[in-house]
Amino acid sequence: MIDKTTVSPKDAIGSVMVVGGGIAGVQAALDLADSGYFVHLVEKTSAIGGAMSALDKTFPTDDCAM
Amino acid sequence: MADVVDVAGQAGRFAVKVFQRARYIDMDKCIACGTCAEKCPRKVPDEYNSGLAKRKAAYVKFPQAVPLKYVIDKDHCIYFEKGKCRACEKFCPTNAVNFDEQDRELSLEVGSIVLALGSEHYNPETYDIYGYAASPNVVTGMEFERILSSGGPFEGHLVRPSDHQEPRRIAWIQCVGSRDPHHCGNGYCSSVCCMYAIKEAALAKEHAGPDLDAAIFFMDMRTPGKEFEKYYNRARDEKGVRFIRSRPHKVEPLPDSGNLMVHFTTAEGRVLQEEFDLVVLSIGLQTSPETVALAGRLDIELNSDRFAHTSPFRPVQTSRPGIFVCGAFQAPKDIPVSVMEASAAAAECGELLAAVRGSRVKQVVEPTERDISAEDPRIGVFVCNCGTNIGGVVAVPEVAAYARALPHVAFVEENLFTCSQDTQDKMKEMIREHNLNRIVVAACSPRTHEALFQQTIKEAGLNKYLFEMANIRNQDSWVHQSMPEAATQKAKDLVRMAVAKVGLQQPLAEFQLGVSKSALVVGGGIAGMEAALSLATRGYPATLLEKGSALGGHGLELHAAWDGQPVAPYLNDLIGRVQNHRDIEVLLNAEVEEVQGFVGNFRTTVQAGGKTREVAHGVAIIAVGGRSLEPEEYGRGQSDRIFVNLELDRAISRQDPLVAGARCAAFIQCVGSREPQRPYCSRVCCSHSIENALRLKALNPEMDVFILYRDIRTFGSRENLYRQARAQGVVFIQFSLESKPVVAVTDGGKLQITVQDPVLQHPLVIAPDILTLASAVVSHDTDPLAKQFKVPINAEGFFLEAHMKLRPVDFATDGVFVAGLAHYPKPIEECIAQAKAAASRAATVLARDSIMAGGVVALIHKELCCGCQACLQCCPFGAISYLEQESRCEVNQALCKGCGTCAATCPSEAISLLGFSHLQLYTQIDEALSA
Amino acid sequence: MDTPFEPRILAFLCNWCSYAGADLAGVSRFQYPPNIRVIRVMCSGTVSPHHVIRAFQKGADGVLVAGCHIGDCHYIKGNYMTLKRMDFLAGLIAFSGYQPERLRLEWISSAEGVKFAEVIREFTEKIRALGPAPGWAAVPLAVGA
Repeated sequence: MIDKTTVSPKDAIGSVMVVGGGIAGVQAALDLADSGYFVHLVEKTSAIGGAMSALDKTFPTDDCAM
Repeated sequence: MADVVDVAGQAGRFAVKVFQRARYIDMDKCIACGTCAEKCPRKVPDEYNSGLAKRKAAYVKFPQAVPLKYVIDKDHCIYFEKGKCRACEKFCPTNAVNFDEQDRELSLEVGSIVLALGSEHYNPETYDIYGYAASPNVVTGMEFERILSSGGPFEGHLVRPSDHQEPRRIAWIQCVGSRDPHHCGNGYCSSVCCMYAIKEAALAKEHAGPDLDAAIFFMDMRTPGKEFEKYYNRARDEKGVRFIRSRPHKVEPLPDSGNLMVHFTTAEGRVLQEEFDLVVLSIGLQTSPETVALAGRLDIELNSDRFAHTSPFRPVQTSRPGIFVCGAFQAPKDIPVSVMEASAAAAECGELLAAVRGSRVKQVVEPTERDISAEDPRIGVFVCNCGTNIGGVVAVPEVAAYARALPHVAFVEENLFTCSQDTQDKMKEMIREHNLNRIVVAACSPRTHEALFQQTIKEAGLNKYLFEMANIRNQDSWVHQSMPEAATQKAKDLVRMAVAKVGLQQPLAEFQLGVSKSALVVGGGIAGMEAALSLATRGYPATLLEKGSALGGHGLELHAAWDGQPVAPYLNDLIGRVQNHRDIEVLLNAEVEEVQGFVGNFRTTVQAGGKTREVAHGVAIIAVGGRSLEPEEYGRGQSDRIFVNLELDRAISRQDPLVAGARCAAFIQCVGSREPQRPYCSRVCCSHSIENALRLKALNPEMDVFILYRDIRTFGSRENLYRQARAQGVVFIQFSLESKPVVAVTDGGKLQITVQDPVLQHPLVIAPDILTLASAVVSHDTDPLAKQFKVPINAEGFFLEAHMKLRPVDFATDGVFVAGLAHYPKPIEECIAQAKAAASRAATVLARDSIMAGGVVALIHKELCCGCQACLQCCPFGAISYLEQESRCEVNQALCKGCGTCAATCPSEAISLLGFSHLQLYTQIDEALSA
Repeated sequence: MDTPFEPRILAFLCNWCSYAGADLAGVSRFQYPPNIRVIRVMCSGTVSPHHVIRAFQKGADGVLVAGCHIGDCHYIKGNYMTLKRMDFLAGLIAFSGYQPERLRLEWISSAEGVKFAEVIREFTEKIRALGPAPGWAAVPLAVGA
């Protein structure tokens, strides 16, 4: 992992930027926040949720996407 | 409201410039009352409803939006266009509108970046042979989602856009904007459209009744995910959805009726037409031009299908170190795989930034709890309309009025959406203002929303157990839609029961338990090793159990990943890193004997190399893998010319004379998969056979290669392999479950396959020199391990996750996770992503210094206990012990899971399940029957 | 004219399977008669014979106890207890000269919205056919702690 494309571990910054607030971005942000990192979640629209929030139900359990 | 402009720096330390557009509404002041939208004179097509409805220029994206704050759409606002209007500003009750707000550029310092950029939907106007532009009754799959949705443009009434009439015949056309490099430029398979079309067709039938004709026009039905095949079978066999193997070449809008004529060619080559009232185009996913541009600014390499380039062995690592990718920007994919990759990307960040964990986080201050012991119950009741979901059936104002008159009720309020962020804030306010000490929410289900409301009242200083829900939606308004009076009466009864129960509720204590900051990983294959390595890299020691005598698992048998990269170098490197890591202990010939304890504090007895020992660990990851089925049909065992794919891999590699000398080769797909006794797709076999067909062609371009298949399921960019195989002359012959090929081995040892030719409609005989059976991936005997860890498995022996969509690697049992083939058949890159995801989820436990126990647990009132020990015998968790000296029993609250079986067993009712005490149950019974 | 008999049915549903099945029936909009009142319990094993008898004493015409399928219990074996208890209780009810069919035990999973709606429909009709429950006032009410 350590090469010239990576700063030395101690000089790293303990925060992460997640770009995109759909289901994937939200899950990544939650995992990171729950394991000790400060997260900047950058979303282009006015609310998180992404494509999933526009779905009626989801396969294969027909759970409500909301 | 923000975009990434630029990223400088290197992995571990990036400087990011973010451009944040002005919202023109102050988030702190906006109470989401909707006045701005009501007063706004400008109507705009609503993107959220795929343009099927209008919104205002002052709007909220959707009613459940997070954050639930309005926004002014600068591009459509009359003030920004013409310099006057500002109606929203005038009427806003909180002065939240601020037209002076400026866009701003932010600078962030971050250690790593996760790109979850998603995809856009293909626009069918790009190559419009299906009448999308010409007819309002040709809609996209996304538009149809909105049509079905109760929050959509037609409030969930299934009507077609042109005349708002209920359609009686609906057609779905698959692969619109997918698997078509010539017209739309998207050669890949979008992976999700088959399933969403089946779902939409099945839901349409539920909406409109069984008489609705739902027909899906498809080339290959691709349902290669967990439980997908069963879903497909149910839609076809039980719901009567028609599946027509064909390629429609034209949809012709008919004058006057608004109906549509679908012209199509069947698999047998017949050209037919059929009339429908509504046509749904199953549009694919693609990377948007904005995302392509962003990838350029970030110096991220894209593949030929314009998705982020990744290696199967580093599935979430982009071409730039420190920048990771997940979701549909990596490849078109469904929700569970997206969620899995998201956790995997989080794991990669955690590995990269292990040394600086915790350096940038603020400590959360737990709200102090108000002591209510001296207070009489003062109950607040919030009755939800859920838009019209409840209010459309139940007379919510009447229920609210009824609640006001109930004993101890001090405050009642109706809400449009009780779950919205502004209502949460309001609830906290009301708890303080009215000094409420118990809350009832009459709304949806506690199974989905109890945690949310509990968090809210906790933030308001109340013990979170001073809360009860009355389920007046899922179990009332939704199931008694045509009986508003009875539903209203039922809602009142449910509210009365909840109020009576919560009135008796006392605060429940929770206490902290330490966490063993280490993991037990069961299974030493690729998934197990990746999971252990990920955790060890983050500083959490792992014990890795392998039942065999060497690491590697099923991966040892694999030749190459789907893109042709050899597995062996990767696997050898992985094994080396695992064996040499100081924080990983590998136990070979090892099995789990007994599991005790609970999240954070497991003690597992392990049998390793003939010795028994105990391992203390905080989390467990189950990655026991799967195996290739040994086929029992198609002449297997009768000839050394009949292989399974894993054997063919090796035979090609060593240039086995049987293979190298073959002039004709055949593959039979779905051997043991998609059969009545094993109703699932093994996900990997189509690609595997096609890869091997291509390798055979490379070996000898003159070789005739036949692949006998039911549906080719080369999802995502694997479709390119399928296209390549056809281009190189591999012949694909489709068969159905009812007319499977027949294999004969002659006395001379020659092979003969007879299969029905779908085009010519008569038997076709192939005499291959070698035959390969694409055998199913099956589970090991998982039952004992499932019982030991108290986690479920499905009918086929694969472990069953907590939630099929949103918790794909978690179990309902805290602290236990699953990865790899033990979960479902899947290719290497998904095994690795899932292993890293399991590690990420495990790290959310291991990162904590303590976990909470207590809450809903059993308590023995010692003065009533006679020491009969009936409870001790019935407790499934061994949480009860007998105190010899006192002749009484006692519950260990850390082990107690709160089932209450002991409480019901105790002959003197000396045991209470806290939160469900006998007195509370009797009271609920009495109240239920008192009206 | 007499108002038609509307049965009063009390249902104890376990949180993990049957309550979720009832939720799913709602999500799927399966319609069923509005005669039941649900009490959510963590496990069907939480339901003691006393609770059921209390319901009959208080005028329930029918009582449904529903839990996870055998083998699927969230608490591994809580529903085995339920099975034993309800079996015993049905015998006791019959012995007391009461109609044991007024007590029904069902296994309904979180995926069985259809089954939940069907069970409620069927049971409601059955109780309707049986008519109002005769009083069961002889036994003193339990107190509860």
